[in-house]
Amino acid sequence: MSSRGGKQKKGNVTSEQEEEEQPLQAVLVADSFNRRFFPISKDQPRALLPLGNVAMIDYTLEFLTSTGVQETFVFCCWMSNKIKDHLLKSKWCRPTSPNVVHIITSDLYRSLGDVLRDVDAKNLVRNDFILVYGDVVSNIDVSQALQEHRHRRKVDKNISVMTMVFKESSPGHKSRCEEDDVIVAMDSKSKRFSMGTDEFEIRHDLLDCHISICSPQVAELFTDNFDYQTRNDFVRGILVNEEILGNQIHLYVTQDGYGARVSNLQMYDSVSSDMVRRWVYPLTPEANFTDQQGQGCTHSRHNVYRGAEVSLGHGSQMEENVLIGRDTSIGANCHISNSVIGNNCTIGDNVVLDRAHMWNNVHISSNVEIHQSVVCDGAVVKEAVRLNKQCVLAYNVVIGPNLSLPEGTVVSMHHPEEEEEDDDDEFLSDDQEVGHSKDKTRQKAFNPAEVGPEGKGYIWKASMNDTEDEELAQCLWGLVLNPDPESDSESEASEESQDRTFQLEVLGTLQRGLEENIVCDNLVLEINSLKYAYNITLKEVMQILTRVVLEYPFQQQGTQLTTLQYTGSLLPLLKTWSPVFKNYIKRAQDHLDCLSAVEELFLEQDTHQTAMVKVLMKMYQLEILEEEAILKWFSTGATNDKSRQLRKNQGLQKFIQWLKEAEDESSEEGE
Amino acid sequence: MELQAVLMAAGGGSRMMDLTYNTPKPLLPVGNKPLIWYPLNLLERVGFEEVIVITTKEVQKMISTDPKVKLDVKMKLDLVCIQEDADMGTADALRHIQQKVKTDVLVVSCDLITDAALHEVVDLFRAHNATLSMLMSKAHEFTETVPGQKGKKKTGEQRDFVGVDGTGKRLLFMANEADLDEGVVIRKSIMRKHPRMHIKTGLVDAHLYCLKKSVVDFLADNKSISSIRGELVPYLVRKQFSKSTNSPKVIDETHQNLKKNDSNVNLEIQISSRDEELLHLTQERSCWNDHRGDMSDAYHGGRLRCYVHIMDEGICYRVNTLAAYIEANRLAPKLFDEPAVHPSAVVSERCLIGADSIIGASCQISDKTSIKRSTIGVSTTVREKVKVTNSIIMHGVTIEEGCNIQGSVICSNAVIGRGADIKYCLVGSAQRIEPDAERTNEVIVGTDQLMEI
Repeated sequence: MSSRGGKQKKGNVTSEQEEEEQPLQAVLVADSFNRRFFPISKDQPRALLPLGNVAMIDYTLEFLTSTGVQETFVFCCWMSNKIKDHLLKSKWCRPTSPNVVHIITSDLYRSLGDVLRDVDAKNLVRNDFILVYGDVVSNIDVSQALQEHRHRRKVDKNISVMTMVFKESSPGHKSRCEEDDVIVAMDSKSKRFSMGTDEFEIRHDLLDCHISICSPQVAELFTDNFDYQTRNDFVRGILVNEEILGNQIHLYVTQDGYGARVSNLQMYDSVSSDMVRRWVYPLTPEANFTDQQGQGCTHSRHNVYRGAEVSLGHGSQMEENVLIGRDTSIGANCHISNSVIGNNCTIGDNVVLDRAHMWNNVHISSNVEIHQSVVCDGAVVKEAVRLNKQCVLAYNVVIGPNLSLPEGTVVSMHHPEEEEEDDDDEFLSDDQEVGHSKDKTRQKAFNPAEVGPEGKGYIWKASMNDTEDEELAQCLWGLVLNPDPESDSESEASEESQDRTFQLEVLGTLQRGLEENIVCDNLVLEINSLKYAYNITLKEVMQILTRVVLEYPFQQQGTQLTTLQYTGSLLPLLKTWSPVFKNYIKRAQDHLDCLSAVEELFLEQDTHQTAMVKVLMKMYQLEILEEEAILKWFSTGATNDKSRQLRKNQGLQKFIQWLKEAEDESSEEGE
Repeated sequence: MELQAVLMAAGGGSRMMDLTYNTPKPLLPVGNKPLIWYPLNLLERVGFEEVIVITTKEVQKMISTDPKVKLDVKMKLDLVCIQEDADMGTADALRHIQQKVKTDVLVVSCDLITDAALHEVVDLFRAHNATLSMLMSKAHEFTETVPGQKGKKKTGEQRDFVGVDGTGKRLLFMANEADLDEGVVIRKSIMRKHPRMHIKTGLVDAHLYCLKKSVVDFLADNKSISSIRGELVPYLVRKQFSKSTNSPKVIDETHQNLKKNDSNVNLEIQISSRDEELLHLTQERSCWNDHRGDMSDAYHGGRLRCYVHIMDEGICYRVNTLAAYIEANRLAPKLFDEPAVHPSAVVSERCLIGADSIIGASCQISDKTSIKRSTIGVSTTVREKVKVTNSIIMHGVTIEEGCNIQGSVICSNAVIGRGADIKYCLVGSAQRIEPDAERTNEVIVGTDQLMEI
């Protein structure tokens, strides 16, 4: 590993001697600042959780070292003592280590932003540095990206502040985290995050490896913008202010190579199985890169790894992709596939394990079945227990016997409520924490129905945890988001609702007109502007207007009006608003449209049909409607039975008769 | 016959009214050939023997009578006239000739001047059994000064956003800047199927489309669509990813429904290319796939596919503005090889004619004239000591002695008086410019031609 780093160093010496004199630095954030792994991470910080029987932080450090990092700052907060202990014992703190690890702890870090502000305050970095989390598993050689980054910074003076490393993987890829479903708009040529240019590419096939190459300004920018909490805040801030501040973010896309962040148990599951399947070569289980005694194991066909002193009972099968830690004994007639088993575990007879992740010192009795679940250190699973998919047994839990845990059950020795009580002092040292919890454990009894007659532990419900604003942020196994229904986006519904809102607006306008005595001309103006706002045709305006006016009495006084009351309140209104009508009803076609709107309304309000004559009469008298139009409407407009029925109304017949006579008279007069 | 060619030549040229006032757009002279000749020639070059030309009565009459408008094509032209005042869009026109359409169609606009390899577009259409394939090109900057235009004109038209997949062929997304409220909205379902999408702006649509016959039938049933570019193409592009066209189940139901003549409900679905059974079987048995990264079928089971060929280089102009018209005239001579000076033109020996100029039939060019980078139309008379640079002179123009014409467009039958100095002007047809006039950057048209506001 270290030799690779050396090689890369040589390659760069020619071009960037000055910069190369300084060692490559990295900032490793060994805290997630969220509670995705609760309740597991109540007992062990996430960075120390074993993945393939090796703590996750070791993968990250190995990755950094192999890319040539010579100085790493590890920032820890939650359970910093444990991380410190772990690192002090590891090979990274041996004098021969090519990568000098500095451990910086503080209980005050609450976010990535705090860490980077501290980096700036302490003036730790002198040059471009790599920023990773303590739960990143990767074998990507970022030296290429680093070179590109440096080149960019040399060419355009310090414009590029960050290069983010992405891995190509299509949507639906196993190691794609559903929550981290990034869509990136980039300039294909300059590999820059951008939207504004003439041509850009939108990519949905990239996986954020959470590895970023940062310029020293990044830390300063975090200090300047004290509201930046996460890297997302930072990226957004840079992109939004790109035109003002001129800072840019670039991407580096790798096609081969592996990089993923274990951000939830779903990811844990997929990264762990990728590890066993050797996708992260050369970081494989048998490589024992942590260089610890007794960690070595053998690798045989179908990716079966066995540690030292593993005993396997008669008739037991290890089918494929199985990793078994040292001193573990397995009983007879077991079926194990796609699983990782830690050190010092005992497994009884007739056990079926599929996609199980068992950590150290786990005790499994006979006739147990475990599917896609995590069993933490010291847990005991009694006889004939069945763990369905996505169960989690946290530290020292006892389950069973004779129990089947439903899908997604989380059992912990910590009572779920105690978490909320401890909410404020969660950043206290863990000794206190443990003391607390022990008290509580004694206070509350275990529920045998939930964890079995001999069981110890409390059920954690996913819903218990949504104390944070983001609901989905809490589920241990990442949520599997349902793909949005591919509904046909075009529908008439929106248009109809536009008409409806327009109608309401017109109603409002007229109401106000009455109340405040607004001149009709101004009402017309308002309606016209509404017409443009809602993109309504003139014809519709008129129809809606007619409708609104005729419905107005109902609107104001309820639908139980008698016909007499209705006409009584409507006719004055018609008089008041006749200028508005006249403004819209001008051509012959307008008259007909208006009449059909009247007809339509009275067809709906069939109890008030007698009022129709009065309305028509009034509109005729007010010269809103012309007699020819009314006659034409009467003779031709009938299209269905109902409207024919309407025309048989006596009053209407009389009215038409009268109109005809009046016409005759007037024409006679004319002669 | 695999494809029927349809030429849309009924447009009024509303964006260059000054030019099209007297001459309909299809017959505007470009390099002394009517504009319509270029798409016809393009079709003839690739071997079409018959073209349906949709045009107006006026154009038809001029084609058959006016000797200046010699089309000079061997193909059989099937002229279909539509009413000029009916305000028909291109899709309306296509609907109009539905009876004549027997196979898939290639629709070309009459204002397209291109040297594109047409087979590229058709091959996409064939290879993917596409519903639509079209031609686009990188937009060109017009360099020439445009008469009557003050200062550098911003491109008034809004940008088009065109999204294509990683191969640059499949058309995934299309939107005009005008339709976007806040940024580009792309459905995630598209991204999931096509994780890499290139969004391009600065492309011009050549208005050349290969369309399945079923699309024409669809148009016949869907009267609301009136323009190919404005409505039909965006509709098809969008429909590629809507569920109803994709799930085979629905398709089957459609077939059943169609039998029941219940076509009303499923109008929209008809347009998906109904693969013939054998084709379908082949696709099923084949291990070929159009994408990688997931395990789904080729084309993700979608039946409706739109493709685009984007020209990287070569000439591709749509002559729909004055600027484009001038540019096209500058480039047109490169597209055909005919003698620059027509044999029947009478050109004095003592005049200077640049190699990049075209002199039309029966022109008279007198002594001591100089003509550079210009096109002189049929039966134009140029008298002594005239200087013509960078200009387009149409048919039957008379230029009197001692004129200086630079960067201008002179429409048919105009008369330029003696000694006039015209720079960057557009002179409308049959206009008279008084002697010794000095005009710069003006549009000179008759009062009746001024647009009504």
